[in-house]
Amino acid sequence: MAVVAMPTGRDSVPAARAAEPILTVDGIVKRFETPDGVLTAVDDVSLSVLPGEFFSVIGPSGCGKSTLFNIIGGLLDGYDGSVRVAGELVHGPHPSIGMIFQEESTFPWRSVIDNIAFPLEIAGLPKTERYDRARHFVALVGLDGFERRFPAELSGGMRQRVSMARTLAAQPKIMLMDEPFAALDEQTRLLLGDKVLQIQQELKQTTLLITHNITEAVQLSDRIMVMTYRPGKVKRIVDIDLPRPRTSEIVSSEAFGRYVAQIWNDLREEATRGMHDDESRKRRGAPS
Amino acid sequence: MAETGRLTAPAAYAPSWMREHPVTALRIAIIITVLTGWELLARSGWLYRDVVPSLLSIGRALYETLSDPTFYLHLTTTFYEIGLAMVIGGLSGLAVGILIGGSKLMQHAYEPFLYYLGPCPKIIFFPVMIMWFGVGPGSKIAMGAISCFFPVALNVAGGMREIDKVLIRVGRSFRANTWQMVTKIYMPAMRHPIINGMRLGLGVCLIGTLLAETKLSNRGIGFLVIQSYTLFNMPQMYSLLIVLFVIAIGANALIGRLGGLDTIRRT
Repeated sequence: MAVVAMPTGRDSVPAARAAEPILTVDGIVKRFETPDGVLTAVDDVSLSVLPGEFFSVIGPSGCGKSTLFNIIGGLLDGYDGSVRVAGELVHGPHPSIGMIFQEESTFPWRSVIDNIAFPLEIAGLPKTERYDRARHFVALVGLDGFERRFPAELSGGMRQRVSMARTLAAQPKIMLMDEPFAALDEQTRLLLGDKVLQIQQELKQTTLLITHNITEAVQLSDRIMVMTYRPGKVKRIVDIDLPRPRTSEIVSSEAFGRYVAQIWNDLREEATRGMHDDESRKRRGAPS
Repeated sequence: MAETGRLTAPAAYAPSWMREHPVTALRIAIIITVLTGWELLARSGWLYRDVVPSLLSIGRALYETLSDPTFYLHLTTTFYEIGLAMVIGGLSGLAVGILIGGSKLMQHAYEPFLYYLGPCPKIIFFPVMIMWFGVGPGSKIAMGAISCFFPVALNVAGGMREIDKVLIRVGRSFRANTWQMVTKIYMPAMRHPIINGMRLGLGVCLIGTLLAETKLSNRGIGFLVIQSYTLFNMPQMYSLLIVLFVIAIGANALIGRLGGLDTIRRT
């Protein structure tokens, strides 16, 4: 079991996979002004993701995961540190980074195919080309036959696949996902995880997943970064040495269970701290 | 429960089509009741001659009105006024609504004006509009546009604030520019408030325009209504009111259709 403890996460690329990282996040610090004073949401977080790698960030609620997601995606400004894609400094939304949001984010007034063609329309691709490409991604997420349907006619899992196909259609170098399955039930979540694994292996898609779900993180990832509760720091980076290609069947294996236990061990301490903090805040009557 | 039972009991004796289409049957029933009551009142002679003209004379007047070529000149004038007023009032309301709904600062600064001026009866501006735009269609268009502006602006501003924030983040993450954000995200996301605003706007636009026509004008349906009133030609006046009903209903249906409320599915 290759468990590498990296307190800061810097230079955490194992020698066996020494390639140029495609995404480098260095020393990110983000503070928010709140009525109770300055809150440090993310404190000196650094990570690097290799081409084709599936990297997960896991942490309890309130560890600044979503803040980190928005910073890497370029939707949040005013932080210290740097985000680089293939060595190039990134400021604002970048074409190499595709984001998939936690919330329901399909456009209800667009059909499945028009939703997926959206980024291509924004980029100004000619009509035939964008529909050809969109159709390819419809098939990739397994929604053939639903092209003309509207989001309201689909299930939650199908809608999240539309969002995924829409982001993939822009052909980003890095797919950035913020708890994309949070609103789904456990079975759908596992099956969608399979879909993600399959797509990721097919496209060799570099992926950064933000999650609080340990099973999901272990099922999908090559490496998992565990974050601490407020301020969000890097607690540990864990290599997941499970065979690929994987499917959801892996959740019943013994090695899987060991990884889950190990990460829960790290996480429990943080989650407990988070819970106490939340409770004492509620006792004081302040909003969390 | 017993009350409801007694009310619905006669349905058992009704013909089968009535039992299958109870809504249609009830609608037809109320129309027949009103028309019968009207006709009885007309024949009773209780009221002064022609205040409630018989259905037959209204029908005849309607036929005469519709076969008179000058009627169509007036109709065109009114259509033109309402159409232009809707375009001017609707577009300016849309622009102001987007501006106010899109920024907290603008909202705090200007929304109170909209709230207080909105319910204010616009007819008080009519003398001013006559001075600015003359007694012709210009002043009627201005009245219609002012009336239509407020409900559109208020609805759009409210709609702007209720846009799902994640959709805006999606647009930004795909690097949509401001124009693309407005045309591909804000506007379609606000289609229901926009259509609602246009509907309310259309109602008050018709009021504004026709009220202005009845006050001071020499053309338009409003002018014809007030003319037949002064000549005490009641059947003709009622026939014109029927025409106005049809116009209002038709315009409303058109706006609903244009907004695609029938085709675009809601979440």
